[in-house]
Amino acid sequence: MIDVEHLGKVYGSTSAIQDVTFQAQPGEILGLLGPNGAGKTTTMRILSGYLPATQGNAWIAGYEVHENPMAVRQRIGYLPETPPLYADMTVENYLNFVVKIKGIPAGDRAAKVESALERCSLQEKRKVHIRKLSKGFRQRVGIAQAIVHDPPAIILDEPTVGLDPRQVIEVRNLIKNLAGQTTVILSTHILPEVSMTCDRVAIINKGRMVSSGTLDDLMRQLAGGTRYELEVEGDRSTIAEQLQRVEGLSSLDWLAPEDLPAQHHKLRVSTETNQNFGKQLSTALVNANLGLYELRRVGASLEDVFLQLTTEELTPENPGAETSGLPSESSGEEASRVEAMNLPPAIEPDGPSKEIKS
Amino acid sequence: MTALTTVLTNIDAIFRKELQSYFKSPLYFVIAGFFWVLTALFLLLIAQNIIEQAGQMDAGRQLGQSGSPVDVPNLVLQNFLSVMGSILLFVLPVLSMNLYTEERKRGTLELLATSPITNWSVALGKLFAVVTFVITLIFPVALLELYLLSTAKPALPLQIFWVGHLGLVLLAAAVLSIGMFISSLTDSAIMAAFLTFVVVLLLWIVNALGQALGGVLGDALNQLSLLKHYSTLSQGVLDTPSLALFLSYIFLGLFLTAQSIDLFRLQQS
Repeated sequence: MIDVEHLGKVYGSTSAIQDVTFQAQPGEILGLLGPNGAGKTTTMRILSGYLPATQGNAWIAGYEVHENPMAVRQRIGYLPETPPLYADMTVENYLNFVVKIKGIPAGDRAAKVESALERCSLQEKRKVHIRKLSKGFRQRVGIAQAIVHDPPAIILDEPTVGLDPRQVIEVRNLIKNLAGQTTVILSTHILPEVSMTCDRVAIINKGRMVSSGTLDDLMRQLAGGTRYELEVEGDRSTIAEQLQRVEGLSSLDWLAPEDLPAQHHKLRVSTETNQNFGKQLSTALVNANLGLYELRRVGASLEDVFLQLTTEELTPENPGAETSGLPSESSGEEASRVEAMNLPPAIEPDGPSKEIKS
Repeated sequence: MTALTTVLTNIDAIFRKELQSYFKSPLYFVIAGFFWVLTALFLLLIAQNIIEQAGQMDAGRQLGQSGSPVDVPNLVLQNFLSVMGSILLFVLPVLSMNLYTEERKRGTLELLATSPITNWSVALGKLFAVVTFVITLIFPVALLELYLLSTAKPALPLQIFWVGHLGLVLLAAAVLSIGMFISSLTDSAIMAAFLTFVVVLLLWIVNALGQALGGVLGDALNQLSLLKHYSTLSQGVLDTPSLALFLSYIFLGLFLTAQSIDLFRLQQS
């Protein structure tokens, strides 16, 4: 549904995003997660067609965003960081305007506006001037604007930022209700938001993709031991044989990147313990006279990102406000998750990543 | 929907949105009040002045002095159109200053730029709306003129009246189109109004230079001068080159606006 491949954007001499690749399947909610300044807004602006990419491609519903901008614009709803509202219009007039410029035929407009008002619980505010609405309601009008024409893809840039905890819950429920019929991409720097609303997550940091998958996958990556990526020259079976002798090794996957020289192999190994076994790995390979070209601990960058993310929404002045409105079972589950994320077990005192290159 | 109806629907949507915002803003009521009071005052002053002059000349002729009869209604209309044009030139920068600055400031340009609507449709809708506002400014004044002129005998040919006011609307549309382009370049309404006013001053300078300088250069400046062509139309002459010039200015403004919106997006950091 939404396909992003090797997207890059350069502003002058600084690169905002590099090689961003992810997919969102029809009907799923994908969270674009990353700390502030990671390049989330830039990515979303490219997807919406607002900004051109310097590299790479993005397809929405089969249309490339730069080759077919009008086709893409018809098929997306987009909520920028600041909701694009006309303060002197009433909610209803504003949505009537939006539905008209989104190319909905005259006969269907009233029904679409009505449905958007209903889905965003804005019926009572329909005659109110947007200027007079609270921030939470404005955000809802912003979301109504993005869904009013029932687009197959919806792009929401930080949809819950700046809202009070109650409004946050309402907006999240609204987004969850969109799933199934609509593909949603939302960006956030708040970790629990992803676990509460998203089916899958793509993590971006400093303009680069760190990881993507379901949140459970990522948690396993984070908590589940140590992983290394290796590039080794030599016979495949010899390599496997040598590595299997390393104590504690739990899995071995062969990777197949395209641009590998002959006789070179890339592989990923992991342990279930958090013990750092880089030394054993390199010793085993070098002793067997195999060429070790790269030995890199992976997952460390994920830890880096997680440490920068907002892992909880409680503020000192306002303890318990976030969980108060939630059903108790889910809040309990969230709390334990948050705790787990706060203390990633795989962090080592001697720095998050080690690299050996020949 | 066919492509044409889509375009028309889009222009109509922008047109209505813009017009609606004018009639809700106190600024535009202040402008309208200021314009109506000032123009009505001038209309009466000019009419009184010219009628007095004509009376004196009539008296002179009766005493045997030479002099041709004065076409009072025509003279009143031309003088008044020229004054109303000047007043309007002061008002236009204020009308065009918010056309795009507001959209840029509020981030609504991001909505327009990600909706299936072209820059041209947006610019045309905005220009139609602001020109419509100018027409609502001129309309009551024109009724007053018609009332005054209807008392004249022999009556003034109405063509002069219509062509003159068409010229006024075209002059306004040309300046607003350029002003719209200027407003698409900046976030600051004050800046946009100021720069547009500078353009208006340039129009006067070009006009004055064109009259002062003779030769090829003077001729060329005269050809480009909006005010020169406005005075042609205000004499009731429906002159094709004049119409073409006004339409070219309008097109230029629209074209530059449509381009600058894309450029602004591409350069944005």
